[in-house]
Amino acid sequence: MNAKDIFDGVTDIRDDLIGGAGETPKKRKRWGRRRWLEAVAAVLAVAILGGVFLRPGGGLTVYAIAQAEYPKMAPYPSGLFQFSDAAYSVWREDVAEQRRDLGDISPLQDFFARSTQTFLTEKPGENRVYSPLNVYMALSMLAQISGGESQGQILDLLGSGSMDELRKQASDVWNSNYRDDGALTSILASSLWLDRDVKFKQGTMDILAQDFYASAYRGKMGSDQFNRALRSWLNEQTGGFLEEQTESIELDSDTILALAATVYFKAKWHSEFLEKNTASQTFHAPSREVEADFMHQRSSQRYYWGDKFAAVSQSFEEGGAMWFLLPDEGVSPEELLADKEARDFLFAADKYEWNNQKALLVNKSIPKFDVSSQFDLGDGLKSLGVTNIFDPMVSDFTPMTTDVDVPIVISQASHAARVVIDEEGCTAAAFTVMPAAGADAPPDEEVDFVLDRPFLFCITGDSGLPLFVGVVNYPTGD
Amino acid sequence: MIQTKGGVAVDDFAIVELYHRRDERAIVESDKKYGELCRCIALRLLSIWEDAEECVNDTYHAAWNRMPPDRPQALGPFLGRIIRNLSVSRWRREHAQKRYGGIEVLLSELEDCVPSPGTVEEDLERRQLALSIDTWLDSLGDEDRRLFIRRYWYGDPVKGLAAERGEGANALSQQLLRLRKGLRGFLESEGVKV
Repeated sequence: MNAKDIFDGVTDIRDDLIGGAGETPKKRKRWGRRRWLEAVAAVLAVAILGGVFLRPGGGLTVYAIAQAEYPKMAPYPSGLFQFSDAAYSVWREDVAEQRRDLGDISPLQDFFARSTQTFLTEKPGENRVYSPLNVYMALSMLAQISGGESQGQILDLLGSGSMDELRKQASDVWNSNYRDDGALTSILASSLWLDRDVKFKQGTMDILAQDFYASAYRGKMGSDQFNRALRSWLNEQTGGFLEEQTESIELDSDTILALAATVYFKAKWHSEFLEKNTASQTFHAPSREVEADFMHQRSSQRYYWGDKFAAVSQSFEEGGAMWFLLPDEGVSPEELLADKEARDFLFAADKYEWNNQKALLVNKSIPKFDVSSQFDLGDGLKSLGVTNIFDPMVSDFTPMTTDVDVPIVISQASHAARVVIDEEGCTAAAFTVMPAAGADAPPDEEVDFVLDRPFLFCITGDSGLPLFVGVVNYPTGD
Repeated sequence: MIQTKGGVAVDDFAIVELYHRRDERAIVESDKKYGELCRCIALRLLSIWEDAEECVNDTYHAAWNRMPPDRPQALGPFLGRIIRNLSVSRWRREHAQKRYGGIEVLLSELEDCVPSPGTVEEDLERRQLALSIDTWLDSLGDEDRRLFIRRYWYGDPVKGLAAERGEGANALSQQLLRLRKGLRGFLESEGVKV
């Protein structure tokens, strides 16, 4: 007889003994790990798409012509509770209700991979953050309000066979990523801003509200009041995280419609980084060495690798994870994005199925960072085949407006995003530099994973889809 | 009709019935009601959450295969047993490559319960051992019984149990050691027969 036999014997004790000891483990958290530290990751992105044509002025007010209704979610129970508590059951029910079967997502993955490579490699050596889901929602709405080949090009890029198919998919994607329960905030918000003189089609506005959860507002384009309302909406949807970027957003009086889409994601780490382990360390940025605060954590987890990278994940408390991809020495993040294997990993529906992986003790050293970027999507979208909506000669927005005699085009497609990960405190901790990962398998027992040179990250929500992908060349900003 | 909204838990009988009707909602309802329990146990044993998640999925698969014919009265312990068995199988299969800290600690502690050689038949049947442990647990006071089961069935960490009871972790470890030795003494004195 050995300890395993005793373990098995304990496994088979009577039901009433098991139940009598406390139906379930008493923990506030799902996995029963962290209880007190407020380790927070917060990210968001915003895309603005504007349409322009000449029109007469006038008017004063801003009012809603269609309002999206978000699902009401039961709050995550606070304080200590039993998993059998009614409040907990209700919360779990609401979370389960948001989940959708997304079916075959390979066309979506293709869009994520192609667009990420396009947008993140435009300016090598800089910090760059891109939200594939944010742009997906913005493009889906654009497809809804455009017609003919304008719509066809967007459908092609998103890999959708028809508008019906895209509407269904966008609605499912939106719901799969929606969480607002106090434990996790993940909201894809969209809105359409119309000049008061635009003759819009109410049916289209209603579809936007119902399937894309997008509200539509109308007012005097170019007025301070209208611009303030737009900025206020953006700041509200993004928790004030992009105030610096939204300050500069202004729609002039020639604009007749603007489309705004945001992603706001805020979550606690599943396993906190202890403050006492944070220490200053050198980060080897492209043009110089910079000092950054590195968080350290040692944990049993899976370690992934490919020909040119190594990767680990850090889970969020109530769903989703952040993935860190460290390119091999001599490979830049931008070069890594050109590598098919790395892209396949980045956008794999289930990274846990990846071939090259091993469960190890991993000593993670991750710099705290606050990276943001703002860029125009126009050139990138054109290179991806979406051209008509930028060309007044061929653009078609007839599903949205009855003003068919005036050409409408997308005049700007601004995308701003910011990702912040951190914790508090600082003391010394020493870790060695990770050996080059390459195609070689990692050591048998333990590995150091040190992000002390430019790297890639990807944030996935509860659905597993990529909310944010970014390149960190300077963790403390450019 | 299964009604779960508003905090009304689906009773185990209804979920078991779904399994017997080969209705896939059985898995969904099982996960709603016992998913957290299963994940907690698996994670505490395996320490690697991806593996724990796989183990939970395997548990539902195993439950699907066992019902029918099984018709458990209490689904929580039924699923919990499956996940403990799957976890320990995984540990046995892969512990050379993987470090399943939780299960290794529990097994190391349970070494204390192993009777001295010669006092118990080596091939003691598992079921009979469980019955003996049942008897021993019945002889304990409520607090000790709950403590032992929480630690060795649910896999609750010592620190968490200590905090819950307002005791120090060292004191609780001593109490657990006393219980483990008590079980060993009981098994030896019983001269458990096959």
